[in-house]
Parts: sequence; structure tokens; C-alpha cells
Amino acid sequence: MRHAAKVMRAEALKQHRQIFGSKLVLFSMLVWPLLKLAETYYTLRPLAATPGIAERWPLAADPERLLAFLATGALGFTFFFSLVQSAWHFSIERQTGTLELLFLSPANRLAVVVANGFAALVQNAWLFACFAVAMFTLLDVVNVAHPAMYAVVFLAMLVPAVAWGAFLNSVLIFSRDAAFLYTLLDDPMWFASGVRLPVFALPGWIRAIGSVLPLTGSLAVVRGALLDGQGIGDLAGELAGLTVLSGVLLLAAVGALRLGEARAQRTGQLRLF
Amino acid sequence: MIETVNLRKEFGAKVAVDGLNLSIPSGRVTGLLGLNGAGKTTTIKILATLLRQTSGTVSVGGLDPVKQPHAVRKRINLIAGGERMVYARMTGRENLWYFGQLYDIPTKVLKPRIGQLLELVGLTHAAGTRVEQYSRGMTQRLSIARGLINDPDYLLLDEPTLGLDAPIARDLRKVVAGLAEQGKGVLLTSHYLAEVEQLCEHVYVIGDGRHLAAGSPAELMAQTGCHRTVRITVTNLSPQIEAAALAFDSRVRLAPGGVVELNHPDDLTGALTTTIIESGGALGGLEIVEPSLEDAILALSDRSLEVIA
Repeated sequence: MRHAAKVMRAEALKQHRQIFGSKLVLFSMLVWPLLKLAETYYTLRPLAATPGIAERWPLAADPERLLAFLATGALGFTFFFSLVQSAWHFSIERQTGTLELLFLSPANRLAVVVANGFAALVQNAWLFACFAVAMFTLLDVVNVAHPAMYAVVFLAMLVPAVAWGAFLNSVLIFSRDAAFLYTLLDDPMWFASGVRLPVFALPGWIRAIGSVLPLTGSLAVVRGALLDGQGIGDLAGELAGLTVLSGVLLLAAVGALRLGEARAQRTGQLRLF
Repeated sequence: MIETVNLRKEFGAKVAVDGLNLSIPSGRVTGLLGLNGAGKTTTIKILATLLRQTSGTVSVGGLDPVKQPHAVRKRINLIAGGERMVYARMTGRENLWYFGQLYDIPTKVLKPRIGQLLELVGLTHAAGTRVEQYSRGMTQRLSIARGLINDPDYLLLDEPTLGLDAPIARDLRKVVAGLAEQGKGVLLTSHYLAEVEQLCEHVYVIGDGRHLAAGSPAELMAQTGCHRTVRITVTNLSPQIEAAALAFDSRVRLAPGGVVELNHPDDLTGALTTTIIESGGALGGLEIVEPSLEDAILALSDRSLEVIA
């Protein structure tokens, strides 16, 4: 664990230097998610005037609650998509030769990919997270059953996101071309996980896709705990699902790392595909 | 000591390394030479645990890299030339600190070691500068410091001076020689054969993954028939002098410009000169060319190609 903590510190510094290489990063950290949030809000706001909307989607009838719903979605998406970006950066290390140095070192491979994802998450998401908290406070829409639920919300975002990041890193570490991740996980994740629409409003086959994305479960817990006043008991199913999914992702990461390293030792190519 | 026995590595149908037996003792720089594609880098990567051999055994200080990779990685490091294997957006000091964390080096040890290594490679003045602002030579020197961050018992150097300016390469050679004096086992591959000749007490020559020859640079030269060449310029070369010179030894050759040339394992300079003068020759110049390791490697490679053909 002591060595894993050192790897965590090392990756935190590396991510900080890589991500904050330019002040323009503030655009991707705050301005870009804000623009997407505003676009979604003003696209959905006319729904409030739709007859019968209060029965089908009560939240949409209240502009402030709608904004809070969308802000939680944007926050969750920022968490998870920052890990897609981090995995893409990690795959580039294969081309620059530093990936081989990571494999030359005695550092635990899982610790490296988890630390890399965690560090990227913190660096990428803190600014928008601060903005979201300020917005919830100003809108006065937070309805929490117990103060401990804040911790539950935090963990329900953090743990699955880190597991998701470790999984993506471990898979993409061996890929020559990671650009497909953006196509695969940008708009589809935004849509299928219920970032801007409630999951119940989506067709069954999209809900099925969303169910294997950890962002879907995280958003269910975050919205349930922060906006609907649900307690641990109410969210037990979602929390259990998230725990299982996080465990599966971490196990898959371990498997991919072992498979990938063994293949690299056999073929001389640090790539899986 | 690093030892390999019958080391073999296949990539599909291609055999990159075929039955290599190597011994790389501590306290010595051992050379591994061969033309491009000879299997040098593959061999080094097997020793570094980055590749796994198809058959044969490897022992690194008594450890098996296949069964004990973690322990082996703590005791070795690899420095490859010509590649940017450090992080450009971090400073030189930060890069060393980063890799120090990966090797789990205690903070009390790491801090002074980073300072020592930066001084060793002449980068103390640029310790706080981002690597993206370094020259190629500075980046390569930082890579060398990175390779020493875990104070490895065995250092694998794959073309470490590739692309470096002559003064920097010379300084690096001093560093490598110093590491061997400290008791580290060093394996060096380089295209600069003068460098190998200067640093290595023992050299392995491989071709197409197979062992071709081994020995000290002098032994390799002797094995391949590379000897000192004497070139005597005769200003009044006549048929009579030519006949006398050719009769002196069957290895005497006549070259354009009135040059009499002799390549021989023994030092016959004086005797040949006397023969030429006694036959009426007037000396215009005398040149003695010592054999080089390059001649030996080329000779070995040519023989290897002949065998393959």
C-alpha cells in the first residue's frame, strides 16, 4: 500500500504537469461543460410549457429543478469523460516510449492505471465540481435525507469513476489507436446514461446499453440523494449495482493488464489489438 | 552475474535470438555487437523482463526474470539511446522524482540521489527546466540519470550515445567506466565500435541472433585475422624492388602510388624496410595502421553472411 501511495503521488504530479500545460485547459474544465449544460437546459426548458408534463416528468415543470437535474448529469459526465481523456493520454505513452519504462519498473501495474485515472479525475473535475456545488447552493434545490448522504454521493461518483478509468487505461494502454474511444463514449455515454433525460424516458434498448455504463448508476444515486431526499435504504439497489459494476471493472482491468503484458512479452509489441 | 543459456526468442516464424550463451559479470563492461537486426535489442529486452524468451534460461544475480520479475526489475535498469523516454512537460528533477517513486526509493535516499545524478550528467543547472526546453543531448543525459535512479546492480545500455555530440558521448563513456569500477555489471551495445573497444573488456559478437565470436577486442581482432598494416611508400619503385618486396613475404601487396603493403600478425616493419632499402629503394613515407574492432566485426559479419549464403 505504501508503494501504491507513492505511485499515486507520482501520477498526480505527472497529470498535473500534463493537464495544466496550458491555461487553455480552463476551457475544457469549465467553459465547455458549462456550454453543454446551457445548451441542454435551453433545449429542454420549453418542455415546461408542454401540457401534462408535470405528470410524466414532474421535474421538467420546474426550471430550477430541471437545471439541477441537468447539472448533476453534467457533473457526472465530467467525472467519467475526464477518464476517457486520461486513457487516451495514457495510450499515447506507448508511442513516446515511456510506457515501456513503466513496465520496466517494479511498480504494480494496477496501482499505476488506478493512480493515473484518479489523478486525472481530480485534476479535470474539481473546477466544475466546485461550480456545481455553488449552483446547487444558490438554487436551493438540495434535498438530503441525512448529511452522511453527501459522503455517499461523493463515493458513488468517485469509486465507479476510478474503476472505469482503470479499466479504460488497462485496455487502451495496448492500443495503437485510441481515438475511437471518443466516438464510442462521448455522445453515446451522454445519451444512454441519462445525463440530460431521465432513463425512464429512453427506449428499452438504450436503457440496456446505459445499464452497463457506471455513469448511469452514479447519476441515479446522486440525483436520488441530492434532489429527491432518498436515503441509503432507498438507494440500496443502485449502490449494490454500482459496487458490483466497479468490482467487475477492476477485475477486468487486472485481467487486461495481465493479458496485455504477457502478450507484449511474447510479441514485443506493447499493444493488445 | 547475468547469465543466459541457450537463449532463444521467436517472433512467429522469425528467430530473433538463437541459442545465445552470455555471461555479464559485475564490475565489468561487456559488449554485445552485431549488425542491425542481429538480435541485440531483443536480447537486452529479455534481460530487462520486457520480453520473455521462447526457450533457454536467464539468471540475473541468481534470480529468474520469468518467475521473479519484480525482484529482477528492482536490480536492473535500461537506457536506450535516441529516444525521448522522459516526460516533456515535467522538469528534469521531477522526472527523476517520478521514476524514483515507481521504484519505491525511500525519500531520504531519493532526494540526495537526484542531486547526485543531475550533477553526474551535468544537468544541475537545468534541474528546474521543463524537458521540452532541453536539447536532444540534455534529454539523453536525463535518460541516463533516469536509468540510474534505482542504483541498479546491472545496467543495460542500448546505443546510449546515439545522436550525442562527441564531448557529451565522451563524458558518458567516463560515467559508464566509473559504474563498472563501482562494481556494476554493464551490458553495452553500440554502433560506435571505438566506444566498445575503449570500454569493454569482453565482447560478444552476434549475427542473425546467433553467436559468432567472443573475447576481448584484441582477441577478436586476432581471431578474425585483423592485424597491423604497414604501408611503405617507395619513391623509385622498380621491378627489381617489387620482386624483392614480394619475395619477402607472401602477404606483401603492391598498392597504387608506389606503396608496398604488409598485413601480418608479427611486427615485420623493420625487416621489410631493410629489404626495400637493400634492393635500392628510397623511402618516401612509412605508415602503420593498427587493426580496429570495426575490421573484426566486418570480417565476422562477412563470414556469417557467407555461411548463410
